[in-house]
Amino acid sequence: MSMKAMAGCWRPAKFLENMMHLLVIQCLFLILVVQLYPASSAPEITRPRGVSISKASMYDPEKDFKCFDGSRTLPFSLVNDDYCDCPDASDEPGTSACPSGIFHCTNAGHFPLNIPSSRVNDGICDCCDGTDEYASSAGCENTCLEQGRSARAAALRRAELSKQGNELRLQLIRQGKQQKADKKIRLEQLQRDREEAARIKQEKESLKSTAEELEKAALEKYRQAAEEERAKQSSSAQEEQEAFEQFQRLDSDHDGFIRISDLQTRQTFDKDKNGEVSEEEALYFIEHDELDWSTFYAEAWPKMKPYLMMEKGLFTPPSTPPPSIDAPGENAEEFPADNGEEDEEEEEENPENSEATDVPDVEGEATEVTEEPPQYDENTQNLIEEARKARTEYDEADRSLRDVDREIRDIEDGLGKDFGEEEEFVTLQGQCFEFTDREYTYRMCPFDQVTQTPKNGGAGTRLGSWGRWTGNPKYSTMLFENGQGCWNGPQRTATVNLVCGLENQLTSASEPNRCEYLFEFSTPAVCTAESSDGNPHDEL
Amino acid sequence: MATHRDMRFSLIALAAVFCILVANVLSVDRNNFRTCDQTSFCRRCRGVQPGASPYQLNLDSLQTTASSVSAEILNSVLNVKFVFHLYSLADNTFRMKINELSPLKPRHEVNFVLNGEPNYVRLEVLEKTSEKAVVKSGENKVEIFANPFRVDVYRGTELLISTNARGLMRFEHLRPKPAPKPETPEGEEQAAVAPTDDTESDPGAWEENYKSHHDSKPNGPSAVAMDFTFPGAEQAYGVPLHADFFALRNTKGIDPYRLFNLDVFEYELENGMSLYGAIPVLYAHGLKESAGVFWLNTAETWIDIAKPDGENVVSSIVNLVSGSGQEPQVDAHFMSESGIVDVFFFLGPKPLDVFRQYSALTGSAPLPPLFSLGYHQCRWNYNDEDDVRNVALGFDEHDIPMDVMWLDIEHTDGKKYFTWDPVKFAHPTDMINNLTAMGRKLVTIVDPHIKRDGGYFLHQDAEANGYYVKNKDGNDYEGWCWPGSVSYLDLFNPVVREYYASRYLLSNYVGSTLDLHIWNDMNEPSVFNGPEVTMLKDNIHYGGWEHRDVHNQYGFMQHMSTYEGMVKRSQGTLRPFILTRSFFAGSQRYSAMWTGDNLADWGHMRMSVPMCLTMAVSGYSFCGADVGGFFKYPDAELFARWYQLGAFLPFFRAHSIIESKRREPWLYNPDTTAVVRQAIRRRYNYLSLWYTLFYEHSRYSTPVILPLYALYPKDKDVYAIDNEFLVGDALLVHPVVTSQASEVQVVFPGENERWYETETFELFRGRSTVSVPVDMNKIPVYQRGGTIVSRLERVRRSTALMHNDPYTLVVALDDKGFAKGTLYIDDGETFKYKSNEYLYIQFEFSNKSLKAKFIDKKAHFPSKAWIERVVILGLNKKLSSDPIVKSKSVGEQSLKFSSDDSYNVVVVRKPGVSVTEEWTLSFSF
Repeated sequence: MSMKAMAGCWRPAKFLENMMHLLVIQCLFLILVVQLYPASSAPEITRPRGVSISKASMYDPEKDFKCFDGSRTLPFSLVNDDYCDCPDASDEPGTSACPSGIFHCTNAGHFPLNIPSSRVNDGICDCCDGTDEYASSAGCENTCLEQGRSARAAALRRAELSKQGNELRLQLIRQGKQQKADKKIRLEQLQRDREEAARIKQEKESLKSTAEELEKAALEKYRQAAEEERAKQSSSAQEEQEAFEQFQRLDSDHDGFIRISDLQTRQTFDKDKNGEVSEEEALYFIEHDELDWSTFYAEAWPKMKPYLMMEKGLFTPPSTPPPSIDAPGENAEEFPADNGEEDEEEEEENPENSEATDVPDVEGEATEVTEEPPQYDENTQNLIEEARKARTEYDEADRSLRDVDREIRDIEDGLGKDFGEEEEFVTLQGQCFEFTDREYTYRMCPFDQVTQTPKNGGAGTRLGSWGRWTGNPKYSTMLFENGQGCWNGPQRTATVNLVCGLENQLTSASEPNRCEYLFEFSTPAVCTAESSDGNPHDEL
Repeated sequence: MATHRDMRFSLIALAAVFCILVANVLSVDRNNFRTCDQTSFCRRCRGVQPGASPYQLNLDSLQTTASSVSAEILNSVLNVKFVFHLYSLADNTFRMKINELSPLKPRHEVNFVLNGEPNYVRLEVLEKTSEKAVVKSGENKVEIFANPFRVDVYRGTELLISTNARGLMRFEHLRPKPAPKPETPEGEEQAAVAPTDDTESDPGAWEENYKSHHDSKPNGPSAVAMDFTFPGAEQAYGVPLHADFFALRNTKGIDPYRLFNLDVFEYELENGMSLYGAIPVLYAHGLKESAGVFWLNTAETWIDIAKPDGENVVSSIVNLVSGSGQEPQVDAHFMSESGIVDVFFFLGPKPLDVFRQYSALTGSAPLPPLFSLGYHQCRWNYNDEDDVRNVALGFDEHDIPMDVMWLDIEHTDGKKYFTWDPVKFAHPTDMINNLTAMGRKLVTIVDPHIKRDGGYFLHQDAEANGYYVKNKDGNDYEGWCWPGSVSYLDLFNPVVREYYASRYLLSNYVGSTLDLHIWNDMNEPSVFNGPEVTMLKDNIHYGGWEHRDVHNQYGFMQHMSTYEGMVKRSQGTLRPFILTRSFFAGSQRYSAMWTGDNLADWGHMRMSVPMCLTMAVSGYSFCGADVGGFFKYPDAELFARWYQLGAFLPFFRAHSIIESKRREPWLYNPDTTAVVRQAIRRRYNYLSLWYTLFYEHSRYSTPVILPLYALYPKDKDVYAIDNEFLVGDALLVHPVVTSQASEVQVVFPGENERWYETETFELFRGRSTVSVPVDMNKIPVYQRGGTIVSRLERVRRSTALMHNDPYTLVVALDDKGFAKGTLYIDDGETFKYKSNEYLYIQFEFSNKSLKAKFIDKKAHFPSKAWIERVVILGLNKKLSSDPIVKSKSVGEQSLKFSSDDSYNVVVVRKPGVSVTEEWTLSFSF
């Protein structure tokens, strides 16, 4: 008898089937399928092998079997006959015949499980009840009771942990909200303070400029004399020589031109201190694709010189950092400044260091020349003294304003960060946690940065600065990005997975991908009261 | 895995000494490798002018034995004598040897490469005149011309190979080092008395510098060179390994193909630069004939090729013989630095015949363990035991089969091979057992360089017993490699080989088990601070031979020893798997190879096809390329396409450099994971085909994959095709090797040949070129009409778990309604197949029935496998009743079937017969 109705019943595994299969498998591995029907209320149906109770009604030995996708109807004797007739694998739930079938193990005493039917009779015990190996030599023992017991115990422990953790979490939420509220109050206070400070600064500024004008006029004659003297000494030839030497150093291929790439190898020009000199940064200095000597000397040299001097330690930046040097979110204070790069960063971030502002210096430019001041007459001396006082007072006022501004900025930054749905992560800010393995000590400061320091000393490495929440659910994973660049590789990143625990603790560190670090951090902040899963629904 | 950039990485950390190598280039730095012009012997040999050969054979000295003739040859200019031998071998093969009659000291002759003594057969002298001697063996004839010396080899009346036809022979006899020439006029007179050649004026003849390296050349000039002409040949193939197309190019105006095993960093494509391995076999093919030569020499070798170049047919030497001026021809010119002339001639007549004739000499690969034909997952490096466990688990979670996990150099304790990192790999046996629980295996790397560490047992033993290769002064040679300061075992010494082999015994390799297999890398050998990243040529090996003489065989000696040890560790019961990077002719008897440190780009992926095709015809079928590319990071498309191709090359392994992002198949996106899963499953679907082909390779030496010209030798238009290839004689594979491809041009070879798409079963007919649409899901693969291919449709987690699974037979009928195929089955791991524990089944469809019969009646194997399904393609006849199966176990039963309306695809349901019995499936139509 010809069965032409079966046309096309078999074909090699197809791509789409596999796509679906992938989804199924992933779900299966992630989730232990919990039966909808508790054992007590299950109807008494004898199920074909590999069929779950929920699907049992689809397999009625009294009737012909219809493939779930409706594509075909078969005599019931072809169900589980070790030959794949349904394209959707539904006729072979208990054998390995269909390429993307699903086998259900009841696992009485433990969780039921769905496995790919390719694991049926392959010699490996995948189900704790051993039902997947009914015709192999694997000799599986039923370990469900044992496994179920320990699974239940583990679930209980987990539930207890969640419960305790959740209480702590609620505290954290309260504290977090409180801290945030406090900060808002403080912010309001600061905003008021700022007005006052700004007013004082303005006042002092005008006093200062008056005093300085008087001083300037008095000094004019001395200055002229001094400048003539200096002009004699500071030869522009010397300057040109220095510039030329630098030009040659930068022109690595000695072709008489400096290019972007020449600058990119010099950390000096890393204005934002992110570990690499971007094209943009290089262009800031050279403004062209390539520079010959004369353009270099005329245009680029004046911009470069301060950076080169800064590198040599000859120059401290002016009290107001140039607008282009700006590294938002960078805060090196937590980190031991034990490498040169970080040193520079600090200098930038702490303009207060530039205490040399009491030297009368018109341009605010660096000067290596320290000369004996000329002798002034008494009147001039007094005016100088007045001006100095006015400047000191102005500086104090200016500093006060900047202090206020900084605190405002800090608080606003803090308030602007995402501390979780219920502010449960607020209290983690400002704290740091360490983990030490065979070679390194890792330090994770939530909302700030992650670093790695060799145990045997040596320079530390920033693995990343606070980036964002990237988990699923969102608040289960922190990403720190834009860490120091790797040799011949990308910038480092650090991913921190958060798990429920009673204490805040960094519990593991690894580098699964080169320059991609992975941490586990346990914290009560992610402990939610689980729905009671201590009693798995058994199929009995 | 390893090359200079990594070296750079590691050495900068170690010592700034080698910072000279730091050059941020994205491909090979050609400056690190010699050209012919920078190589004194190559320069001299290439400089020989054609048509003025000084070599004369003295026919009066001709002597004959049952299977050979010999005679003296004189270099009439230098007045030096040589001895010539010609041997007749079974299967249309001749061997010619030329050596100095009385050399100053013995010249090197190659050992171990031939698979035992060749099979010599009778030869007789037909005639001898003053001009030539003619000898005959079977249908073949050789004419030996006296002056100038020339050897013409005929099959029947067809001249296939002419030796020294262009007069490029050069045999530099060993000579005492000349005293510095006195600056007197007498010098010239002396020169007139003792004739000299151009070695006198070559400053590189007695010592040579390359970069900062000095070669002391105590033996002076010692090159051998010979030209071979193949009248009528259109194309030449062979002489691997080069990253070049399958059909060799004309080397006029460019460097010759070079054979000198080197560790080349980010190698360039489409040129004849040396790579990791060398097989000096060359095939020439034309409309009438296929022929080949095997130049048995382990020293550095260069090969010039001249062939028809478009319109420009080279002036034919055949003019001398046949008078036709328009015939194409291929000329090859082999040049080696030392040794003797020892060359084999293969007379075909067909491509498969010449491949077999070569394999008869150097052997074919033994049957590999089944798992090695599955999918291999490698990376430099899996970090620790947890990493290995989790990656293996990842394959299960994503339902992707995988057979072997690999560990690169970082698994060792400080790059001391045969040891384990005490922290990261503290429990190797547990780790291996965890893999074997799923039927999987582990491969660890064992490189030939030995860390000079006083606490390392291997170094202690080697140093104390003098096992290391010596430098020219007789001291242990020291170089730099991964571990820092290293020395190299002299594996040419039998005592060292035995010692080395015994390192693999389970009792010596602590932590290993029988499920651990071996990867021999860096065995060119790679020496980071050596000339061209290898060993000094004036180093000394066992027997006093210079490294110069044996360089290309160093890697061979390593895996030969490894193989011996790996067989011994199971008392000869289990088949080992070994992968090597360096190789020579004959290496196929011990190991699989791969194309080394390729790049994650489309060009390198595409080039893996001609590279492996060249290997396959050169007797070495077990070839693959790092899937995904070793250097750099492939995008998702390239990654997926590479798996689709890799699944159809004999060795299927993904690998990546330590600096590259991780790229297990599920790390891109779900679509890519699905494509890769499908590609790997396709490999497992065809596992029994691969296994059967490897069995047949071991038995008949037929290459496992084939170029089109091998099956269609009369179709000139397929001679150079290497963007598609055949698996066995059954599948035609056309990989997608460009980005965003929406269609590919598939050449369907063979007049009236039928080609069935393997999944849709759509029929294409040869000889045609069809633009076939492609999507991301798969690459086009076709089954040839006339073949029967078995498939395993139940894909498990690893090959070991598929042992009892049933087979589907796909019967693809040809125009005559005929098809046949074979299936080989055994336990997949032991040598018991050598004592008849296997099944070798022939399937044949003809006269309305499909019959299964055992080819070897006395072979048996207790398999539980059975026939699940039979698919008949191209029947196109209405079945008048259900098919009937007949066998001992099922008796006589009628079976259900299904088909489309036109009976293009007939699927017979569940014959249920066992593979251990013969059976018949009958149809009525």
